[in-house]
Amino acid sequence: MKEILNKKILVVDDEPELLQMVQNALFDAGFWNVHTAATCAQAVSFAKSQPVALFLLDVNLPDGNGFMLYKTLRESSNAPVIFLTARGEADDKVRGFDLGADDYIVKPFLLSELILRVKALLRRTYTIVHKETGFYVDDKYIDFEKAAVIHNEKEIPLTPKEFIIIKKLWENKNKIVTNDALCLTAWGEDYYGHENTLMVHIRRLREKIEKSPSAPRHIVTVKGLGYKWVSENE
Amino acid sequence: MNKTTIKIFLSFSFVSAIIATMLLVMNALGIGILITDTGIITPKHSPTSVLEDISLNLEKTDTGYTLANTNIPSEYWCILLNDDGNIVWSQNKPDDIPTHYSIRDIAKLTHWFLCDYPVFVRTENCGLLILGIPKNAVGKYELIYSMKWFDTLPERIVIILLINLVIALLLSLIFGRKLYGNLKTVTSAINDLRSEKTVNLPEKGIFRDVRRNINETSKSMLRKNAILSERDKARINWIAGISHDIRTPLAIIMGNAEELENSPELTENSRKKATAAKKQSIKIKKLIEDLNLISSLEYDMQPSKKHQISVCPLIREIVCDIYNNIGDKYSIDVELGAENAIVLGDENLLGRAFFNIINNSIVHNKDGCAISISEYVKDKNVFIEIKDDGSGFDNAVIQNSDEILHGQHGLGLSMTRKIVKAHGGTLKIQNNNGCVVTIKIPTE
Repeated sequence: MKEILNKKILVVDDEPELLQMVQNALFDAGFWNVHTAATCAQAVSFAKSQPVALFLLDVNLPDGNGFMLYKTLRESSNAPVIFLTARGEADDKVRGFDLGADDYIVKPFLLSELILRVKALLRRTYTIVHKETGFYVDDKYIDFEKAAVIHNEKEIPLTPKEFIIIKKLWENKNKIVTNDALCLTAWGEDYYGHENTLMVHIRRLREKIEKSPSAPRHIVTVKGLGYKWVSENE
Repeated sequence: MNKTTIKIFLSFSFVSAIIATMLLVMNALGIGILITDTGIITPKHSPTSVLEDISLNLEKTDTGYTLANTNIPSEYWCILLNDDGNIVWSQNKPDDIPTHYSIRDIAKLTHWFLCDYPVFVRTENCGLLILGIPKNAVGKYELIYSMKWFDTLPERIVIILLINLVIALLLSLIFGRKLYGNLKTVTSAINDLRSEKTVNLPEKGIFRDVRRNINETSKSMLRKNAILSERDKARINWIAGISHDIRTPLAIIMGNAEELENSPELTENSRKKATAAKKQSIKIKKLIEDLNLISSLEYDMQPSKKHQISVCPLIREIVCDIYNNIGDKYSIDVELGAENAIVLGDENLLGRAFFNIINNSIVHNKDGCAISISEYVKDKNVFIEIKDDGSGFDNAVIQNSDEILHGQHGLGLSMTRKIVKAHGGTLKIQNNNGCVVTIKIPTE
């Protein structure tokens, strides 16, 4: 976490007040190596003089636009980029992502959201992500690495589909996941017609995980929509 | 279109045929009057009236006959024959007239001429009165008709008239063909005008002025459409421009409000005010986004990107998103009847339409409500019915559901209507123990 806060960030925007505000917010969040530029030229010369860990680029700049600036910066740097734009059109979004932008924030934005995204992007780029290896439910442990349910030191293996489904549900815990989303994860684009198979897998999962599979408390059916993982301890 | 032209053409031909037949009848009468010789029918000097006059005034005397109280016109002559064929009285008798007549002579003269004089004959008790008029004054022709001719005369007149009518009709059809062609061009041009197509007719023929006017109309329509679309474009750009320009200042307001909200130097009360400012800024942000969407929907009715969309997964996704963010006060029951329904359109827009309706029920029923969503296909249309058991729509909303609905229901409902319309569908708003909204969209 500390490492991330040490990263050098360059914010490019032609609006001094916005620049100041974003810089302050980043300082408040614990970053200290935050620099600003008001034009493309300034940004390019800064990026050439020292390595930058992350760019925050406005799309509209007095001497060019953010997309062009992005291309120029890419020649010398591979640092992740977040676009800030006052254009709401979906086309801009596509264009930004086509170019390889890592994220995209439409003005006006909440500073807290901006900070979250900056941190997430830095973490994604510069640190090894700490992966979840499993979770406890009641007296059972769902082990992601072994793809099994461990109960009283006994391993009950999960089939690949069951594993994908339980993981997807757990990642979205306490939220409904639609049948479509579950099938898409388990069977890919061509998921259509797998609803009944999904029901079978859910039943088997309940048998392996729930205390009383006929009255499930964790893998809950939401009629007509999908399923929801309910964790009680949260 | 052609039906109209044919109708006009046929009635035109029919009228001209009737006119032609009427003309024929009138001409027949007129010719009848013209060819009747009124010259010898004048009552005073007509040979028959002169003969009658003579017969009345011819008196028998001891010495013979005398004509009292009257005179024969000087160019006429008259003789009276007795039963033996001899002249017993005469006046103005030319010298070349014989004095004795045989039966054969009588037969000849009654039918034809007497020594080239046209003669008129009248039988009297005392003999035969013969009136002669100057040579070459009249011609005589024998006309003999059978009785059958007289009997069938009315029928024949009717047939002749009918044949005339048909011929006139045929002729006007033939001569009117050109007119028909002209009419067809003009009516199809007017039709094109109605469907806003560009029209440019050659300005010639009997409808030259009409054609010119149509061309002018087409041109001015093009001009006006160009101005209109220009204006629409300007309006879209204007709205887009304004919302673009608002975004950066709003970002600064929002960011600063957020900073103040978390500022430890401020009092609790001041921080609350900053929170309010932030919340309202977020509202303005949403309004800007909706405004842009509505303005582009308003002037550009077709969604730019059309894809095949499965309705059911989309509904489930939207409902889940909503469900995951609302409390237990609300329940959403989903009954999707046609799992395979596919429509052509923009997934984001349609999702937004569904979201707006469901979200309306939640926003306007703060104490919670039960929402039910059903979907089915009927007559190549997919129907999505969204009901709640809440307070229902205002009457004003239902009455003016075609208008843009501001105020109580925000932009949501009118945006939904526009999205549905852009997908060739309709939106129905009712109250039935709560709101009932029915979206109908044609299936692929």
